[in-house]
Amino acid sequence: MELIYARWLSWCSRIALAVLVVTFVLYMLGVHRPLIALERLPQVWGLAVDEFVAATGAPTGWRWLGLAGSGDYANLIGVAMLGLVTVLCYLRVVPLLARSGERALALVAAVQIAVLLAAASGLASTLLAGNH
Amino acid sequence: MDGVITAWWVWPLALFGVSFAIGAVAVLAGVGGGVLFVPIVGGFFPFHLDFVRGAGLLLALCGALSAGPALLRNGLASLRLALPLALVGSVTSIGGAMLGLALPTDVLQVALGATILGIVALMGFGRSQDAAPPKPDGLAAALGMHGVYHDAAIGRDVPWCVHRTPAGLLAFGGIGVLAGMFGLGAGWANVPVLNLLMGAPLKLSVGTSGFLLSVIDTSAAWIYLHRGAVLPMLVAPSIIGVMLGAKVGVRLLRVAPARIVRRVVLVLLLIAGLRALLKGLGAWN
Repeated sequence: MELIYARWLSWCSRIALAVLVVTFVLYMLGVHRPLIALERLPQVWGLAVDEFVAATGAPTGWRWLGLAGSGDYANLIGVAMLGLVTVLCYLRVVPLLARSGERALALVAAVQIAVLLAAASGLASTLLAGNH
Repeated sequence: MDGVITAWWVWPLALFGVSFAIGAVAVLAGVGGGVLFVPIVGGFFPFHLDFVRGAGLLLALCGALSAGPALLRNGLASLRLALPLALVGSVTSIGGAMLGLALPTDVLQVALGATILGIVALMGFGRSQDAAPPKPDGLAAALGMHGVYHDAAIGRDVPWCVHRTPAGLLAFGGIGVLAGMFGLGAGWANVPVLNLLMGAPLKLSVGTSGFLLSVIDTSAAWIYLHRGAVLPMLVAPSIIGVMLGAKVGVRLLRVAPARIVRRVVLVLLLIAGLRALLKGLGAWN
């Protein structure tokens, strides 16, 4: 089971990191226009996140996906892929655990998937903060 | 920010250089990059701590994801040991991230400084140990938290099991809060809890700690991403710098004096921790 998890982890994280590097190189080359101009960044990167969002119109939640064509927010594709690597690996091992009779661990892993998906979907933020 | 006009590219370039150095030094000192990154970059760079913590989490996550396959293949990380602890840690890391993003920056700086100074004490005075396998408690037995790993250094299989599982789960709850709140990664806390509290062998504790980070940090990273606290200009140079630096660190591992490097890291952490503490108190801005 560890070997299967390792194989999935290796491939998924490599792909995510490659996407992150490529999108950052494209960002630096100015291939796509960024949402926040590079020259403006030093004026806003010292602001707290809520002030930053208000000042720049930066997206929250999954709204960055609609801006993935911009040079800066395209980088979040790789970041989001990094955040999904563990979910994919867990999804792969849950059936293996269940088939090998490890019911308690299979249940733990299934709950873990639910927690990660709640965090990824923004549901956890919404439930805990009461807004989004 | 401070009245001095600096070209935008200077800071990301400096960040890449510092991250590269952190990556190399972290490997040599046997610590995670996140624990160095957050206090150093948070204390001496112009980026807001919200973005630094978001980047710190992703940095620790990348390191854990990269190291994970080799640790699992070599039997040095155990899914049986990690799954229950990771679940508790990932739930509380979500709460920690939410709390960290809600607290005023100066309060957070003080708490970060105090935590870093605590880590310095733990690293400076803490001692890991390998003893005979403990008698497993009921919860550990029910969850199947036992097994055998191969220790290549001594050339034999080593049976392991854990005890004090409820206390371990509670400790990982606390670790998750700290990881999410400060974006530090948490290898510095994982290993003592696994080894000293729960009685797992040291090598298995170190390996499983890396795996645990990949789960705990993932949950918290999503909270930062959804709040808009992941700044591409900060994240990408940091991750690339640390990953490249770690490769150099691995090459230097054979020749560098590890004890001296570890002491240098402790001094760096001490300065960065004091800087965060005094910055939060308004005494060193």
